[in-house]
Amino acid sequence: MLGNHLYTKMLCHLLVCFYISLTANSENNLFESTIAPILETKCIGCHNTEKAKGKVSLSSFEEMFNGKKKLILKGNPHKSLLFKVIIPEDGEKAEMPEDGDSLSKSETESIKKWIESGAHWPAGRVLKERSKADKSWWAYQKLNHKKPEVKSYPPGWDKNSIDAFILEQLEKKDLKNSPKADRRTLIRRAYYDLTGLPPSVEEVEAFVNNKSASAYEDLIDNLLASPRYGEKWGRHWLDIVRFGESNGYERNFIINDLWPFRDYVIRSINDDKPISQLIKEHLAGDVIANGNPQVEIGSAFLVAGPYDDVGNQDPAAAAIIRANTMDEIIRTTSEAFLGMTVGCAKCHDHKFDPIKTADYYSLYSTFSGVRHGRRVWASKEAKERFHNESEPLKKEIGQLEAQLKKLAAPDQQKEKEAIHKKLDELKSKLSKVKPLPQAWIGHRSAGDAKGPFHVFKGGDPQKKGEAVTSASISTLSEVHKVYSLPENSPESERRLKLAEWITSDENPLALRVLANRVWQYHFGTGIVNTPSDFGYMGGKPSHPELLDFLAEKLKENNWRLKSIHKLIMTSQAYMQSSEWRENEAKLDGDARLLWRFPPRRLNSEEIRDSVLSIAGKLNTSMGGPGFRLYKVIQDNVSTYYPLDKHGPETYRRSVYHQNARASTVDLLSDFDQADCTLSVGKRSITTSPLQALTLMNHSFTIDMAGFLAQRAQAGETDTEKRITRAFQLAYQRQPSSEELKQSAEFVKENGLKALCRALLNSNEFIFVD
Amino acid sequence: MILENEFNRRDFLGNVTSGLMGIGLASLLTGESQAAIKKPHFRPKAKRVLQIFCPGAASHVDLWDHKPMLEKMDGKPLPGEENIVSFQGKNGPIMRSPWDFNPCGQSGKMITSKLPHMAKHIDDIAFIHSMQSKTNTHGPGCIFVNTGHPTEGFPSAGSWISYALGSENDNLPAYVALTDVRGEPPNGKANWSNGFLPAKHQAVMMAAHQPIRNLKNPSGISDKVNRNTNEFLNYLNERHAESHPNNSELQARMNAYSLAGRMQLSAPEVSDIASEPEHVHKLYGTDSQNKLLAAYARNCILSRRLLEKGVRYVSLYCASRASGVDGLLNWDAHKTLKEDYDRHCPIFDQPTAALLTDLKQRGLLDDTLVIWTTEFGRMPTRQEGKTGRDHNPDAFTLWMMGAGVKGGTSYGTTDEFGRRAQENITNIWEFHSTVLHLLGLDYKQLSWYHNGFDRRLTDVHGRVIKELLA
Repeated sequence: MLGNHLYTKMLCHLLVCFYISLTANSENNLFESTIAPILETKCIGCHNTEKAKGKVSLSSFEEMFNGKKKLILKGNPHKSLLFKVIIPEDGEKAEMPEDGDSLSKSETESIKKWIESGAHWPAGRVLKERSKADKSWWAYQKLNHKKPEVKSYPPGWDKNSIDAFILEQLEKKDLKNSPKADRRTLIRRAYYDLTGLPPSVEEVEAFVNNKSASAYEDLIDNLLASPRYGEKWGRHWLDIVRFGESNGYERNFIINDLWPFRDYVIRSINDDKPISQLIKEHLAGDVIANGNPQVEIGSAFLVAGPYDDVGNQDPAAAAIIRANTMDEIIRTTSEAFLGMTVGCAKCHDHKFDPIKTADYYSLYSTFSGVRHGRRVWASKEAKERFHNESEPLKKEIGQLEAQLKKLAAPDQQKEKEAIHKKLDELKSKLSKVKPLPQAWIGHRSAGDAKGPFHVFKGGDPQKKGEAVTSASISTLSEVHKVYSLPENSPESERRLKLAEWITSDENPLALRVLANRVWQYHFGTGIVNTPSDFGYMGGKPSHPELLDFLAEKLKENNWRLKSIHKLIMTSQAYMQSSEWRENEAKLDGDARLLWRFPPRRLNSEEIRDSVLSIAGKLNTSMGGPGFRLYKVIQDNVSTYYPLDKHGPETYRRSVYHQNARASTVDLLSDFDQADCTLSVGKRSITTSPLQALTLMNHSFTIDMAGFLAQRAQAGETDTEKRITRAFQLAYQRQPSSEELKQSAEFVKENGLKALCRALLNSNEFIFVD
Repeated sequence: MILENEFNRRDFLGNVTSGLMGIGLASLLTGESQAAIKKPHFRPKAKRVLQIFCPGAASHVDLWDHKPMLEKMDGKPLPGEENIVSFQGKNGPIMRSPWDFNPCGQSGKMITSKLPHMAKHIDDIAFIHSMQSKTNTHGPGCIFVNTGHPTEGFPSAGSWISYALGSENDNLPAYVALTDVRGEPPNGKANWSNGFLPAKHQAVMMAAHQPIRNLKNPSGISDKVNRNTNEFLNYLNERHAESHPNNSELQARMNAYSLAGRMQLSAPEVSDIASEPEHVHKLYGTDSQNKLLAAYARNCILSRRLLEKGVRYVSLYCASRASGVDGLLNWDAHKTLKEDYDRHCPIFDQPTAALLTDLKQRGLLDDTLVIWTTEFGRMPTRQEGKTGRDHNPDAFTLWMMGAGVKGGTSYGTTDEFGRRAQENITNIWEFHSTVLHLLGLDYKQLSWYHNGFDRRLTDVHGRVIKELLA
């Protein structure tokens, strides 16, 4: 039993400890709630252990108080360098922070009080630079939207929920919506939007004269059912997943068996496959395929990007190249499907978004088994057939060869000859067994995926940091379930798990990003105008509630796009005229708030396809190996030369062009075709004299102008009627009488072909209202 | 002040979290209007840049960086790195340069005797001997030097400068790449790619042997019909613009057609090398029996003519991609250094030196910056069993001369074997920072928002190398 004395002593001791820890606790709390955030957001970026700019680091107690420079005199802020440099003097900006905003008044006050009260530093605490946004950032929250508050609905605007969201914002800014566009404009807009092609003259007339109440809806239904839809929207998707058909870098060799992936994307979009499923197949199609090559090919996504294949005997250099290959896959995956710039966390925690290097390297572990290359791509049945046909032959050959070895004696010459003859027959038979097709799906290597994996400090594979395993991205841990796989999990499971996590209905970010992409392709600009970056550096949503509403709709529709297209395109906002109005333009010049439909230029594929289409030369056959508008010379490396003459075999839709990296092909490149090296969420639209030179002078234009002229004059002797026909084909409208007069004069002197050449170059042809 | 305002757009946006103002401005950051800079940040020394690129990793220890130790220890193992494995494999012993080095100019700077014409310019050149690269592979190395990234997809320096400063001449492109008659450099067109900058900032390819694409009017169509067609096109566009008021894109496109028309006149004019007097042709060597030398010489003359007309950035290539035989088409001398450089040095020497002389005589060096680049250096050793050198990303030499550059300077050193940069170790980001500085541009401010990041030519690095400035 304990004596009383001892007991009292112990109690006292406990109380003292409790008291001490209590004060330490409250001081710790004060430090964590006020001082650490200031230092971590404003100072540590430069003054950390590694960088120690100006030989100053504020990361740890040691460095703060025992460094070369005396930074703090406890109790006296005015004699503390740390305080002196953060307060403005004589109206000048404070000396620190050198880059970025100065500290606020309340922040400098906090530092002052902290120094006055003794500058307590919690034991062992090490500060790290803090990203600008944390997990409370808008994009990382659960989907949430309330009903918009609209004061008064213009006629027709109270039917589609989208319109309420648009009106709410318009009313707030005192902007007035536009009237409905005329039918001719609408059909042209809808055609380009869903199919990337102009409507025919007959289709326009039929639609203009269709009095049915459902004419417009029927039009959209028809367009969504057209195979041209998958070609247009498949092309959008191919931009996002940086699909290119050469490996880039020094060798840049052409890849002739990746086109099945392009066909798979087009087919999936036409089939209205859930995008969640598409993404899942991209990341783990080979895992879930169960012998189905049409699913397996989806995982060619992993290897559809550029990579450096030049061998390197220097192991450190080879490790960097491998890390860059992984980096390409990590960046594309996170930007394309999540709107997250995880790539920024390769060398250090993300400076702006709550993404850790550990998140980056856990994705590294997830993709570590992926190797570029081709492999057999065939159905179970085909593989069996091949096996059944070739295996017996192989077996027999093996047996005969073994026999042959045993026949060494000279008197067995005859027998040997007989066997040789038989062998020749068998080998010839074997060579005639139809080989299984191959595709650029890549290999999955268990050896490469063998852990442990580590953070590479500063991105350097030679500097290993903390160990990581394949896991969910921590950024979304507050709203979405987390997972972490053991180090020895099979690489197939790692990819599948990630795919399921990204495409879960519980992932608000992936849904928002997808909804925003769809919106952007309809209106030219997304609700968030940085479609692949929903982080701090990205744009803020113009209509956050609408974005969440659309994301919810997507979820309800099982991530299928067609119903969303229809929802958007039947909104009054979409059907508005694009006419410019001065008052509105003053307040909202680029019509982000949609007081009008924003007009746009056609993209490169649309321009080329339209030229072919109105010239009556577009070959709409789908799929298979692509065509080329270049000549490729391949020795040790490949060089791509654009063609001066385009033959009829190239008259297919541009989505079937075999796009090689670091090659330029006149029209397509000049008009901002996506660089298939990085994931492109939004193409730039530039205007350059090279475009004019190409479209005026390349033989493609001249040939097509000739075909267009032939088409316009077919069976027609009257010049004015020919001109009218040419205008209708190019603009989907008749020429005005003034235009007709001018055109007739021009044609008289220069011919109909010259008129067609001018039409193909004109603004009206390549802009959509 | 105007400039500061322009560059503070992002800071400003950072404070605007909602409302129309913020949205309108935010769109500036992703649209073409990001390209609204047309003035330097401060008073520039240089108005334009001539880049001469020798692809294949031109050997620093055989051209510019004299290492007497290689002569002394020829055939002996490299101390401390006896068993080093580099890009192509094992290395043998130290190998001296096949040629002597000579003192040149007032400064007495030692360079190889293989470049007698270049020797005359030594006092105007500022060498940087302490370069290091992040890669030992040609393709990534070339784009690293041109874009600041060893991975593909980023804009080249010329594109950045086109974006920052635009063109000095309304009738010619701002950025021109002259490929060698032997072909494109490693990684090809990625070397002058606009990356994520608008397509108009990519280099226009042209060379003495290869006119700008689609420049000529189509065959079979008379000049008169061409002219009339352009006029009629203009009529169509004017009418369309009337019914679509205030669409600047429409106007821009009409302007592009008239610029294209002017380019059709001025580009053939500037390419008309035949109009140069004979002494100029002699100086450059277009009359040489060596066809490769003559072809490169013609590109050198064309470069001068482009610079004279105010083209902002001219990239001139001397040699091309990797062929199946190392060192045949470019400076990649793995197996037979002497034979390879006996071929490459003369092609480079006379025409380049003539170009520099010509620029100087015409006063163009006063506001033209010349930079000489290659992707990395070579080993001081021979490759095992060969008489050539393997890749060396740890040390190489670049140089600059002309506007604002302190001639006769040698910045940084390598160790006594030229194996590694040793003093004032530097890199392409600092090199680019210095180039931008001479053009009056602050490398920290020249940025473009792309996928989560205000991207810069110098990435997150950079520093102006003040020692190189006059």
